[in-house]
Amino acid sequence: MHFYLRLYLTALRARAEYRVDFLVGVLTATSMQLAAFAFFWIVTSHAPGLGGWSSGEVLALFGLTAMVLGLSEGLLNGIWWLPWYVIDGQLDRLLVYPVKSLVFVLLSRPELHSLGNFTAGAVTFGVAWSMMAAPTWALVLVPLWVVCGAVIYTAALVMIGSVLLKASGPWNTPMLSIHHLLNAARYPASVYPRWLNVLILFVLPFGAAIFFPVSFLRGDGSLFVALAAPPVAAAASAIAAFFVWELALRGYQSTGS
Amino acid sequence: MSTALPVPSASQLLSGFGALAFRTAESKLTYRLATVLSLIASGFAYCVYLLVWLAVYRENPNPGPIGRGAMTAYLVVAFMVNAILTLSLEFRFIQRVRMGLVGIDLLRPLGFLPFQMAQGVGDALVNLVFVVPIFGVGLFFVGGSLMPPTAGAAVLGAVSLLLGFVVNFGVSYLIVQASFVLQSGYGVIFTRAALHQIFSGLAAPLVMFPDGLRAAATFLPFRHVVETPVRFWLGMAGPSEAPLLLAEQAAWAVSLLFLGELVFRSVMRRHQVQGG
Repeated sequence: MHFYLRLYLTALRARAEYRVDFLVGVLTATSMQLAAFAFFWIVTSHAPGLGGWSSGEVLALFGLTAMVLGLSEGLLNGIWWLPWYVIDGQLDRLLVYPVKSLVFVLLSRPELHSLGNFTAGAVTFGVAWSMMAAPTWALVLVPLWVVCGAVIYTAALVMIGSVLLKASGPWNTPMLSIHHLLNAARYPASVYPRWLNVLILFVLPFGAAIFFPVSFLRGDGSLFVALAAPPVAAAASAIAAFFVWELALRGYQSTGS
Repeated sequence: MSTALPVPSASQLLSGFGALAFRTAESKLTYRLATVLSLIASGFAYCVYLLVWLAVYRENPNPGPIGRGAMTAYLVVAFMVNAILTLSLEFRFIQRVRMGLVGIDLLRPLGFLPFQMAQGVGDALVNLVFVVPIFGVGLFFVGGSLMPPTAGAAVLGAVSLLLGFVVNFGVSYLIVQASFVLQSGYGVIFTRAALHQIFSGLAAPLVMFPDGLRAAATFLPFRHVVETPVRFWLGMAGPSEAPLLLAEQAAWAVSLLFLGELVFRSVMRRHQVQGG
């Protein structure tokens, strides 16, 4: 554990060397959140609510989603670089280290622009909270939901990344599908068709850490589900991701770089 | 002793431009799986816009001047226009800056701007090839409302799409200049993507925007990349609006290219090529 902490802090220090990159990255992440917020503004200027949810409640989904994204980017972002690790031959070297390869990959490349996403999410969630009649004590549950959401999101990225081990190329576009799926959690599940609900609530269960908690906060979901579903979904996703990763490594062929 | 290279003739430049566009298309087709996956990913993201709008129409059947059917057609065609005009210029350029290959690009007899534009044409041609089947799928699900109502609308849509390409290229060319200065252009690329996402009319026609956002959009070039061609194609903008809209598009196209060249010359005075 101590080793992984040092690895992460070293990677973080390396990223912090590029101060202009950091500043531009934070601005960029914030502008992407603003772009999403602009669409929300357009939509809510025509309808008071969506799928039975008020604009404040939808805003809570926005905030929680952005915090989940920010935490994953800040702690476990290395998976996005997997295609390049394969092409450069860095993964070959890593596989002979006496470490857990997946944990090493995940911690190897934190993105400091995650701060922009996380802060934008926290501010949005705070504004949304003030618009809802949620119980104040429920605030202590927010970190649990965000951590669980980040684990589920990263696990989904790992599973897609494992597929990319078989089809290496200088691109990570399939991972963008997972990113877009997470962004789908910004709007109530009732807006989407049944197949998409099944996908984001049970198959790649981002919804478990986003929809269920906000449902509870708006008063139509149970506390038990808001408390139990996120950790269960996170644990199941993490186990599945480790299993798929190990399976993919068994058939891994180096690019010879 | 040095020998001056002969200045290429106009026909040589034109054939060089065509050859570069063709080679860019060929190289992009090498990564066709990546292009298809990228289209699927952005198509999925776009489905969210569509589904959210359908929810808006369920909540409020008359949310503005555009009905549900027209909005669906608009969103589907906007996705396709955006897919055609998505250029890989900036990412390709950043890679070449980092590897020090941009030094070769600066020496090409074609000139830096035409060199970049030829690559943009290659990108757009490949995108067009992939978008045609998507249009067929769209026709199957949405029906004839995706087709232009008259031959004139089709012609205006096509002309506007060409001008939209130049406007989009002009913005990309400015981003390329920013990458010269910053060495890493990811920040400006994604900031531009955010602005494009908001103001191009990709998520909704400007007429559905709140007043403040619409006012901002009218002062920016992005709407002429997606919204203007789509409105012409679907007959939402008629021939009476055509002269003004096309003139605005052309003015943005020329201004952006001119500004890009000005910035390029100023950047070249201080640029140092990386050693790779």
